[in-house]
Amino acid sequence: MSSVFSLRPSYYEALKRLTLELAGIHLGDDHAFLVETRLSALARTEGYQSLTHLVDDLFSEGNTRLAVKVVSSLLERDTHFNPDPQSLVAVEDYLLPALYNHPDNKRIRILSFASSSGQEAYSLAIQVDKFKQRYPNAHIEIIGADYPSPAMDRAKEGRYTHFEVQRGLPIRDLITYFERIGEDWKVKDNLRSLVTFRECNLLSSLDKLGQFDLVLFRNSLSSYSSPARIRVTRSLSNVVKPEGFLMFGFDESLPQVNYGFEILLEYPHIMRKKAVIIEEPEEEDYRPTIMPEEFVPEKTLRRQ
Amino acid sequence: MKSCLVVDNSKMIRRVAGRILSDLRFDTKEAENGQQALVQCRTEMPDAILLDWNMPVMDGLSFLRLLRGEPKGEKPVVLFCTSERDVSKITAALEAGADEYIMKPFDSDIITSKLQQAGLLTP
Repeated sequence: MSSVFSLRPSYYEALKRLTLELAGIHLGDDHAFLVETRLSALARTEGYQSLTHLVDDLFSEGNTRLAVKVVSSLLERDTHFNPDPQSLVAVEDYLLPALYNHPDNKRIRILSFASSSGQEAYSLAIQVDKFKQRYPNAHIEIIGADYPSPAMDRAKEGRYTHFEVQRGLPIRDLITYFERIGEDWKVKDNLRSLVTFRECNLLSSLDKLGQFDLVLFRNSLSSYSSPARIRVTRSLSNVVKPEGFLMFGFDESLPQVNYGFEILLEYPHIMRKKAVIIEEPEEEDYRPTIMPEEFVPEKTLRRQ
Repeated sequence: MKSCLVVDNSKMIRRVAGRILSDLRFDTKEAENGQQALVQCRTEMPDAILLDWNMPVMDGLSFLRLLRGEPKGEKPVVLFCTSERDVSKITAALEAGADEYIMKPFDSDIITSKLQQAGLLTP
């Protein structure tokens, strides 16, 4: 690591281990600049004289509260509005209509997993609002979930700089869904009401978030360690309803394990959870002596 | 190669925008005001126009209204690029025929994003 950085290499290694243990995410050697800038800002916010003082305190005192803040700061992703235009086209053209037209869907729930500062969740909310203009009876709820962090605070506030709103957000959507507050732009209340942000540990069970018809987990998978990747994918698969969808980044390679999902041919970055197959219990008093070769036990497809 | 006309009375802005557009493989031309831009468009209509609002001789809004009335004047994707940030100004630009609107200061990410939205760049 270059000597222009103030952190000792041993501290940098310790921070990498901490991030891997708490969040399952690998920090590469090329993240040194990010570590310096993010943690220097955190040191100032927390009232430390310098970054070194913060890290000294972190590792000498075993300060758990500080450890969570440090890892949250390091994991904040640079996210844009309307990331992956191809993905959002799939949401608009295929996923929302499919979910809305499903006979069992009274209320559609969408999860923006690892929502960071909220741009993806609000981009979805804009699409949902446009969809609701065509289908006023649609009840659609968006949840953004991530670690507690300054990014999560910004997501809840829905306030962005003029640089942030111009990266990915068409101007007509900006003036329709945002209001200007000084130099910044803030999400209007009608859009804000479509989104709820929930703080959670992304590696722990997600059951408390409930079940979802669509889960978006985009462009983050590769940063997780292999065990963490399996753990995250497994917990996400548990919160997707049968016949619901799990969407990854457009160019992302999907995990090998499928957990009962199948890839959509039309949209290879989207997986659909198969319907639950409930086999009819065998009747104990019935034992056919001859089984026709073409006989297939009757199965019932049922949506949970 | 796509072409873009940068219309701004600031030489600095024309240079910065020109560099960003060249990096995005656009053939770039420059004009200092709306009147010069109109003359250039009558000779050869570009694929895109990056247009400032406040300029001497002819401002951006007047230029845009005249451009859209020209033969093939509907062709260029017009990105207003200005320090005006009031919603009323943005609305006026869109009503005059602007396709997108960039608030200064800008960076290459913003220009790229707007050109992608306009379909002139693939994501």
